[in-house]
Amino acid sequence: MADADRAASGGRSLVAFVLRVGLLLASGLLAAGLVLKVLRGDGSAPALALPPAALPAALGDRLLVLGVEALVATPLVRVLALVGSWARERDWRFVAVGVVVLVVLALAIALGGG
Amino acid sequence: MDLVPPALAALVLLGVIAGLLGALVGIGGGVVVVPGLIVGFGFDVRVAVATSLVAVIATSTAAGAVYVGRGQTNMRLGMTLEIATTLGGITGGLLATSIPPEALAVMLALLLLVTSGLLVRGRDGHGGTDEQRGVAGGQGYEVHGELAGGFVDPRTGALIDYRAEGVVGGSLVAGLAGLASGLLGVGGGFLKVPAMDLVMRVPVKVAAATSNFMIGVTALSSTAVYAARGYVLPLAAAPVALGVVGGALVGTRLQGRASPALLRRVLAVVLLIVAVQLLISGPGADG
Repeated sequence: MADADRAASGGRSLVAFVLRVGLLLASGLLAAGLVLKVLRGDGSAPALALPPAALPAALGDRLLVLGVEALVATPLVRVLALVGSWARERDWRFVAVGVVVLVVLALAIALGGG
Repeated sequence: MDLVPPALAALVLLGVIAGLLGALVGIGGGVVVVPGLIVGFGFDVRVAVATSLVAVIATSTAAGAVYVGRGQTNMRLGMTLEIATTLGGITGGLLATSIPPEALAVMLALLLLVTSGLLVRGRDGHGGTDEQRGVAGGQGYEVHGELAGGFVDPRTGALIDYRAEGVVGGSLVAGLAGLASGLLGVGGGFLKVPAMDLVMRVPVKVAAATSNFMIGVTALSSTAVYAARGYVLPLAAAPVALGVVGGALVGTRLQGRASPALLRRVLAVVLLIVAVQLLISGPGADG
């Protein structure tokens, strides 16, 4: 295939970056929280409460909650980053695809939370 | 629930296995984690599913970080199929309460068995030995505005160009994957990879990488539901997720060395195991 047919791969580096940052952040928080819980001999496993509920008081639990939230946020951030980079590349067909996915996702969350 | 250090270590190990397999063939690892947690740790099924969903997002993120960086993921293709998958997920969630779980389990098991057989057969009945040819050197890429691209197979070092066909057919299967996801709380990768490989004729390593990338998105909406109902236990999810990250990073390396035929066979075996599990014990998830 001729080089002229190839797309700018800017989106790729941005998304890879987002994924790596999300991974490092979440892993760090989860590992720190886990270590703290083990060091304190605290094996209790409270359930995660969605925001705007307050974060748990114990630091170990707090870090664990933040780690899970950071992890779970990455799929959303990656989609936003991707749509943003497609918009920058002026690939409107796929910007539309991305927006549809975001809308359906929002719908899924709204329907499920009831 | 009280989780002592040996249990936490065992959870990490479970995660490693799930992450390794997940990154290898493009699934989320939920099919390993859910039964593992229920049978091995006595978790309540909804907590098991919630933990698994977090693990699936971890697999997706870890493997994604590698595959996207390598240019092996086709994000345009992934997002296109994700429309069908998330719609399927909503439908699955809504239907879960109206269709008897036993009927669902049987239907899904049949689908998985058929897919398993098709994978072993490979494309055009050649038993999965259709290795793609390519030219040496080059970089992975996606074509602007289309569902096509190229990737460098680490095994051969060749740049292989491809174009996805049959978007409608692929989307239908992806929709089924979403349905399965909504019902079982897994990522659905075990149907997405065959959809891309067999129906859309995309190289299996691209299919696996793309599936990995998207299952995190698929799992996200289900995770929100489970979290809202209080089933996500961070102390249980953390060791599994951390194990998954380690396993997934190793898995991406292993995939580099594997042949497409081997990957198809591994996935076929996974599907077979899941089908058997379903027939024996039913879907087990809520609804």
